[in-house]
Amino acid sequence: MNAIEITDVHQAYGRKRVLQGATLRVPTGATTVLLGENGEGKTTLLRLCLGVLKPRTGTVRVLGLDPVRSARRVREQVGFVPDKPDVYGWMTVPELFRFLKPHYPTWSEARAKAIVAALAVPTDRTFKHMSRGEGMKAMLAAALAPDPEVLLLDEPFAGLDPLVREEVLRQVITAVGDRPRTVLCITHDLDVAARLADRIAVLSKGVVVREGPASDFVAPREEAVTPRALREAIAHAAGLAAVGAR
Amino acid sequence: MDLRVDPSLPTPPSRQIVEAVLDRIAAGVVKPGDRLPSVRGLAAEALVNPNTVNKAYRDLEALGVVEGRSGAGVFVRAEAPALARGERRGATLELLKGAIETAVGAGHEPAALAQRVNQWIAEAGIPSNGVPSQARNHEVSVTPRSARGRAAKLLGSEPGSVRGGA
Repeated sequence: MNAIEITDVHQAYGRKRVLQGATLRVPTGATTVLLGENGEGKTTLLRLCLGVLKPRTGTVRVLGLDPVRSARRVREQVGFVPDKPDVYGWMTVPELFRFLKPHYPTWSEARAKAIVAALAVPTDRTFKHMSRGEGMKAMLAAALAPDPEVLLLDEPFAGLDPLVREEVLRQVITAVGDRPRTVLCITHDLDVAARLADRIAVLSKGVVVREGPASDFVAPREEAVTPRALREAIAHAAGLAAVGAR
Repeated sequence: MDLRVDPSLPTPPSRQIVEAVLDRIAAGVVKPGDRLPSVRGLAAEALVNPNTVNKAYRDLEALGVVEGRSGAGVFVRAEAPALARGERRGATLELLKGAIETAVGAGHEPAALAQRVNQWIAEAGIPSNGVPSQARNHEVSVTPRSARGRAAKLLGSEPGSVRGGA
């Protein structure tokens, strides 16, 4: 079964075409890492899953639902961590949680508190006065508090200092191990990708050019899915897409 | 367990975990009857997908080193130390063979090399804490053109790929 099904989606911002027939299946319970260079449409794919964007053509299904028409039911079951905190700067973490809680029937106060404690998220400061790492930890705690069926991560590891990056990664891994959960994670951090991925998808020129189990991304004559093998897979995929576009 | 995994090594993460557990059993740090950390716990510690730890535990079970007891966890079997030492001896011998081949290829005089090896064996002796020190990477000088291939070959034959002590 697939928790997310994106089928032949085209999307453009003005005249700039971002997705050009993207198709992606994200199997239920697996962690899929979405790779690709900047501006290839990765974030757009996540926004389509959240229902904040409507596909120009093609279909998007999350847990069998259309995220635009069934926006509330999809959002109740999907946790999302944006690439930077997208909340009011004057809010503190407890204020953010009070704001979010009514929207999530499965929101658990205990779970929120436990994650905030595990990540040492400051609760007395506003987002404006938090570092990037603190802000991202707060966003991750908010995304996980309802124990969501699906977790969407948009570059949560970028720009974090090594220790914070490790803490965030550890929390994500804990969330993966907690219970069967579908995770779709965008990252440029190939070390994280190699650690996290059950499956890998590569997006290039608005098309998913390659998707499969992480083990398919082992370089020839090697045994492990190393960051170097992934870097070569992305470069190769970009080359393929360039040939296809001609 | 203080276990780290480095995905940039050519040894797959699940095998890095297998080797780390074998190391600890061979060194007597982890003993028969001990319970291994939970899959979730070790995944969070080593920063890998829980499925990777699952695979490592299945492989350890296939080696006869551990056994899963339903609901209770994964336990080290009585036969584990002998098996682990056997595995580690085989793997370290392979490593030594690779290092010696590289050293001979680099132009070392075989007799002088043998003397060196004997000297290092004598120096290694029995460490005071009873735990052999971690194998160090062998420094090999290579020409830039072949450096990558040689390094990959060396690393590929290196089982001591998990950092962090017991």
